[in-house]
Amino acid sequence: MSMKIEDTWTPADVTSDLGDSDVHEGATRVRIKQIGLVVFGGIVLLTAWQLSVAWFHIPDYILPAPKKVLDVLWAGLAVSPSNPQGFYIALASTLENAAAGYVIGVSFGIVLGSLMAEFRPIEMSVMPYTFALQSLPKVAIAPLIIIWCGFGDGSKVAMAALMTFFPMMVNTFAGIRATEPERIDLMRALSASRLETYRIVKIPSAAPYIFAGLNMSVVYALLGALIAEFLGAQQGVGVVILQAQAISDTAGVFAILIVLAAVGVVLHWSVGYVERRIIHWAKRSN
Amino acid sequence: MTGMRAHNTRLREESVLPFPTPAINGDTPVANERAHQLIAIENVGKTYTTTIGARITALDGVDFTVSDGEFISIVGPSGCGKSTLLRMIAGLSAVSSGRLSVDGKPVTGPSSDVGVVFQHPTLLPWMTVRENIRLPLRVGHYPQVHHSRVDALLSMVGLGPFANAYPYELSGGMQQRAAICRALVRNPKVLLLDEPFGALDALTRERMNIEMQKIWLNNRNTVLLVTHSISEAIFLGDRVIVMSPRPGRVICDRRIELERPRNFKDTVVDPRYLRLTADVRDLLTEGTNE
Repeated sequence: MSMKIEDTWTPADVTSDLGDSDVHEGATRVRIKQIGLVVFGGIVLLTAWQLSVAWFHIPDYILPAPKKVLDVLWAGLAVSPSNPQGFYIALASTLENAAAGYVIGVSFGIVLGSLMAEFRPIEMSVMPYTFALQSLPKVAIAPLIIIWCGFGDGSKVAMAALMTFFPMMVNTFAGIRATEPERIDLMRALSASRLETYRIVKIPSAAPYIFAGLNMSVVYALLGALIAEFLGAQQGVGVVILQAQAISDTAGVFAILIVLAAVGVVLHWSVGYVERRIIHWAKRSN
Repeated sequence: MTGMRAHNTRLREESVLPFPTPAINGDTPVANERAHQLIAIENVGKTYTTTIGARITALDGVDFTVSDGEFISIVGPSGCGKSTLLRMIAGLSAVSSGRLSVDGKPVTGPSSDVGVVFQHPTLLPWMTVRENIRLPLRVGHYPQVHHSRVDALLSMVGLGPFANAYPYELSGGMQQRAAICRALVRNPKVLLLDEPFGALDALTRERMNIEMQKIWLNNRNTVLLVTHSISEAIFLGDRVIVMSPRPGRVICDRRIELERPRNFKDTVVDPRYLRLTADVRDLLTEGTNE
């Protein structure tokens, strides 16, 4: 944003931009150094891995050499998206279900979290049960979900939604309750309705909390879909992992894990990017 | 030019701001007509119960009235309930005893006749300066014509070039000026200032005092200013009200007969200013060890 500073009344009042570029250059140098260290660490790790597999004659089904893993990875990625030998069909299926579950879990989480924050009776009557549900390991609920929703996509969506729901609900609740009392006083002084206060002040105030929840949940959604796939499904990344395991194709398992890790990182980055665009004010105020 | 006006003789509607005005231009009210009494505080008390069950009397028998267009400064020791008094006038806190009315109507809750500026600017950080100032109009569903005030107010306080900036891009003084604009945008009859300049450094504070005087001379709202600063209270006020330590009550109510517009250079050496400052300081330090 280019902003002309021509406040004649109080020139000294103007926030100074001096020295900002110096700070920026320093930060870039530090960043390059950090990236360099990360790359260096990776190379050392991969080399040690490759050498130890060769020296100690570790069989492929225990620990495949990185070269073998990369070969499988390449074979899975360098194919047409519609090729059943590639990763894409399985990945698309898993991501689709995880995304559907994410949307459902996030929506329910924000709605229930808001209702609990706004209405004490709802908080009192719902909170203990949601915490009881949360303290159950979700993996333990998964078989039940499969009974209810079957071996199809329904179970995966349900598991992803279940995993996403709780962090979203808790974060929305905490974020709304953490709204600065001065902001609520301001809205009261303006005779704002409850809905206006919620919409104009509380939800944006809670946005940093909600985004933290969105960031956490994006990986939970993927995890939920995978759990459902492990317990029985016709397609998806989880199924591919199980098939590779069944034929002791450890390199295949490794390759898919790498793909999953990459997907997780990309999802994190995407949420982080949206977060920085939408709540750019959060880091710089207060 | 504004200094030519004797205060309390101008109607609020003659504001130089582009507020919708009834067609009374040139119609000057009789100079010695008793100004309309806008705020009546009759024997007002406030008690509250703390979380551990102790009953605390914050205010006891506060009694004074404020005329339309008057600038009242309220000083008192910390915890004397002066902020509580403002919150009650704003309708944010209920009166425990006594009667409180603004413009003849008992205060039962927040009203658009009253604008409040808090100690912290409390600008919403996700909105630009203009959006922040427009907020009261948005909440009250005011017709579009009122929105032209926003930019007029912004340029009046010198924030015109910053209308599209975000609050974090502004200094503390600029943020507080924006908060004052927000309180004025509905053109309230009463403007309540709760230690608005307390968080600013001394020089910025002096500039804000000059600015506040300019805004008031332009706008002629009735202002109640709560402050810790004796010099600020006397520099800005038509009257200074001194309150006792808790339970707060009015121990002194003095008219400040200094001509406007005032400036620091002349005012702080004026014998009347010095006399009043000394008197108020004596009242505030009475009973302490100093």
